[in-house]
Amino acid sequence: MLDRSAVGRTTPPTLNEVERGAIRRFAEALGDYNPIYFDAEYARASGYANVAAPPSFPISFATGSDLRELVGVPARNLLLGEVSFEYERPIVAGDRLLVTSRVSEISDRAGPAGRVEVAVIEDEGRDEEGQIVFRARRSYVVRATREA
Amino acid sequence: MPPRKLYFENVRVGDELPAMAKAPIDRVQLARYAAATNDYNPLNVDEPAAKAVGMPSVVAPSTLGLGFLGQLVTDWARGGQVKKAQARFTRMLWPTDTLVCKGRVSDRWGEGGKYFVELDVWAENQKGELVVRGTVLLKVFYSFEDETRFRTGQPPLIVTVPRQSILAAPPPPPAPRPSVGKGTAKPGKAPTTKKPAAKKPAARTAPPKKAVKPAKKASKPAKKKK
Repeated sequence: MLDRSAVGRTTPPTLNEVERGAIRRFAEALGDYNPIYFDAEYARASGYANVAAPPSFPISFATGSDLRELVGVPARNLLLGEVSFEYERPIVAGDRLLVTSRVSEISDRAGPAGRVEVAVIEDEGRDEEGQIVFRARRSYVVRATREA
Repeated sequence: MPPRKLYFENVRVGDELPAMAKAPIDRVQLARYAAATNDYNPLNVDEPAAKAVGMPSVVAPSTLGLGFLGQLVTDWARGGQVKKAQARFTRMLWPTDTLVCKGRVSDRWGEGGKYFVELDVWAENQKGELVVRGTVLLKVFYSFEDETRFRTGQPPLIVTVPRQSILAAPPPPPAPRPSVGKGTAKPGKAPTTKKPAAKKPAARTAPPKKAVKPAKKASKPAKKKK
């Protein structure tokens, strides 16, 4: 059961330093060898300030709290149904981003097999001047489990 | 070799992105992805733990499929910036799944010297089942000249291009397979069409209804029709 009182719960800003090595490993894990993720010179010629992060890279950011703490259900019982990102500018190596997460919604929805519980978490990352860099929205449903 | 670029002037609504086939997902990839995202959910990396909750094997994080779609888009849109991306996961991903990622230009517009391209993107597994679908908004330069102006600190090239989706109807996105009850059908808003709306995205195949807002006289009326 999701914790109904979790709505509005917000994590303290957590510093994420975007490292070149982390970008490289992320791109390699995807099997994506686009040189903008590996070669700073190529990335600059492509319009980035430095080696760029892949669009889904914010998934790897630490947000100061795990899901269980946020919504009262362990991550393995949550199924990611939908996700969206919005970028003010591209995230590049060397960025220092302060990331916070906030529970924006907890509700019941009609699913194929009856009602399901839904938790929506919104993340945002700001640079050290406080400028917004990206926003993300993750929508989870609680997985039906047969375990005790 | 200088990076190849994608410019607005070369993009048309309905253009298809080259399909991208990924290598089969395997457990080594799941381990690497877990490390890269610092997310060690046992269901993704621990076979006995996954079986203990009734799964046939470990499952891949759905965001892996999202990453593949990101690759599809950034490969195609070199020089473009992803401004927004949105995805809905319709099926679980398993080791040995082999995904093919596809995409199509659903809209393009320019205003005030800024140019945008909108894409429908999706991925199918080896059985042809839809596993993830979404939309991406890209910001691109109008042309090489526009980019050069930007780099030399000059004002942008200004060409006003209204959203094409209200002028012409691109072909519908691929029928997302009836992934039961996933709520892709949006009843209640189907514009009145002559033929029975057999396809889901009726709004797209429908003839342009009296424009939502009177589009500014387009410099070039869209005459894309397939």
